[in-house]
Formats: sequence, structure tokens, C-alpha cells
Amino acid sequence: MRRHSRRVFNLCYRFTGNSTEAEDLSQEVFLRLYKTLASYKPAFGAFPTWLTSVTRNLLVDNYRRTRRDRQTDSIDDAMPQLEEKHSSARAPDKLAEATELSVQLQRGLARLSPELRESVILRDLQGLEYNEIQVVLQVPEGTVKSRINRGRIELARILTEMGVRPS
Amino acid sequence: MDWNCAFTDERLSDYLDGNLSPAEAAAFSAHSAECANCAQTVALVSGLVNRMHKMEMLEEPPQLVAKILDATLGPRTQKEGWKRWFDWVPILWQPRFAMGLATVAALLVVISYTAGLTPAKLKKADLSPTNVFRSANRQAHMTYARGAKFVNDLRVVYEIQSKLQPEPETLPVSTPAPTPEKEHDSQPPNSIPQQKSQTAPIPNRTQARNRPIFAFLLTESLADGMAENTINSSTRSTR
Repeated sequence: MRRHSRRVFNLCYRFTGNSTEAEDLSQEVFLRLYKTLASYKPAFGAFPTWLTSVTRNLLVDNYRRTRRDRQTDSIDDAMPQLEEKHSSARAPDKLAEATELSVQLQRGLARLSPELRESVILRDLQGLEYNEIQVVLQVPEGTVKSRINRGRIELARILTEMGVRPS
Repeated sequence: MDWNCAFTDERLSDYLDGNLSPAEAAAFSAHSAECANCAQTVALVSGLVNRMHKMEMLEEPPQLVAKILDATLGPRTQKEGWKRWFDWVPILWQPRFAMGLATVAALLVVISYTAGLTPAKLKKADLSPTNVFRSANRQAHMTYARGAKFVNDLRVVYEIQSKLQPEPETLPVSTPAPTPEKEHDSQPPNSIPQQKSQTAPIPNRTQARNRPIFAFLLTESLADGMAENTINSSTRSTR
């Protein structure tokens, strides 16, 4: 349970960049999981993959739902800075966000497009294989590979622009 | 292979994952060695990917699991007041508790039987502390006496056996003749009369053979609780 909740929370946090939102979304993921557990079949793939699919679908729904608010609020650009203040106010130690890179990576991820962001998170932060990501995202393997590749390059460029040298 | 910067961008992840063919990998490396821009991109991306792979997962907020459990299984109700004191009652309905109870009951039955308590003959007076102590004391003494008697009987049997057994063992010692093998080698004709002299106490040997059987019968009789003097008289009669 704790292992799965950590995975889900990390995925949500890395995608949204907001710990409160990630916490609420994680809770919602497990609630949805609890309701649809009876419909789970091994044909859907391994349980962790299925869990990731559920989480990802919820994240996409949430992203679409909040997109209008983001555009009208024009808070989008200020989000990383806001998150930084927010997380420092919300005891960052609890999130164990000790490494500087983790914070900067979070800012960089926020500036990626959602498609590239989710691909990079699933591959490089969640450690999923290409075929698992293909199942989660429901896109062909070529698209998965290309998104991951573009996401990595773009993220590296963004971080360089931010003055972070990941190498 | 004619490689360019677009190819590098396109195949960078394949290169990092080792999914390029040897020819492609060679062309990739050759281009990166020449093009400073691509070399920088490769270094940045490979560094980033390595760092991300090494990055540990963030710890979820401690209240998250509790919140999830509350949302799915419903909030845990905390009983208030005196009802809290009966929280342990549901434990009694668990199978393992019933198993434990059955084991303890079986043990008590075994102990009570060994202590000489038969529930059918149990009277109210037997349960008074003095009577319980008295019966337990009596039982303990009885057990000790039985044990002591058994050990004594066993000792008597061994004494008798040790008195009956040693004769066949002392026989070769009493005749200081050399070993039969050497006799065969040195003096074959003399061996026959010597053997005769050795086989002279044959009746003794047959007696000796019979003695262990007799001793066994004695142990049987002892086990049946026969008196010591009868044993002595029987041993005298054999001698």
C-alpha cells in the first residue's frame, strides 16, 4: 500500500508540481481504484502498470479541467516560483526534497508540454519500460520513444537556460 | 553513413539506451566528435538522464495513507467513553483465540488427569484449598515413590544380571593358553586336546546361556511387582 501510494504520489507531484494537489489526486486515484478494482483483469497488464494508467488518466482529466483556470489566471508562468514558496511554507523536509536538482527539475518539468512531461516522468523518474509506457499512454511505441527523446532534450535545454548544468 | 545534427537529436535516446546498430553508433559518435553543438547536447542529456535515474522517489506526506484508507474503507470510528473499554471483545471471536483456548483446555484436562482428578467423581469438598493441596501433595509423593521403586527394582535386576553374566567373560582369562589362531599356525596336532580341555566346562556354558533368559524372566516378574525375597530364593535355587 505504502509502496503504491508513494509511486502514485510521486507521479502526481512530478506532473502537477504541487504537493497539495498531488495529495488530493493520489487520494482520488485510490478511491477510483477501490471502486473499479472488481473490473481489473490481468489482461490489462501488471497491476502497477494498471495503477499508473489510472493515475495518468486522472492527471490528464485534472489537467484538462484546470487548464481554463490556468489560462484565465495567467498563473502558469508563476507556478514554479509559487510552488517553491509554497513548498517551503509547507515544510519541504517532509517531502525530502533535499537535493537542489530535484527542485530545479520540477521547475523544468513544469515548462514541458504535458505529453513530453508525462513520458519523461514515466520513463526516467518512475522507471517504466517502453512497452509499459505504451500501455499507459495508449499510443504506439514509436510515439512513446519519440516523445521521451524530445522530452529529454527539451528538458535539458530548459535546465541549461535556467542555469542548471545537469551533467 | 552521412550523419547530421537532426539525426543526433532524433536518435539520442536510442544511442543512450544502446539501441543503435554498430554502424549507426559509430556514425553517431563520429558526428558528436566533430560537432560541438551535438556533443554538448549529448553530454547534457546523458547527464540529466543519469541524474534522474539515480534520483530517489519523494516521500509521500505521512497523512496520505490514512487519508486514502479513510476515503476507501471509510473513517475509523473512535469509540468514546466506557465503550472504549470493550474494544478487546471482538478479539475473542477470532479463530486463533478459539484455538488457543482449546489448547489451554486440553492441557488443563491432561494436567488434572495426571494429578488424579476425575471430573466425574469430583465433589464440592475436593475444591477446597486444603483438599486440593492435600491431594496434590499425595499425588506428588506417590509419583516420587513410584519412581524410587522403579529405580530400586531396576538396580536389583542389574545386580542380578551382573552376577550372572561375568562367568563367560572370565573363562578365557582363567585359561592362560595362547590364542587359537597362533596354535593353528605353530602346533596343529596339539590343538585338538587343548580344545577339548577348553570345551570341558560345557555344562557351565549352557548354564550361562540360560542365565540371561532367566534374568529376563526375573525382570518380568519384578515389573509385575513381585517381592524381593522370592527373587533371592529363585536365584539361590539356580545356584
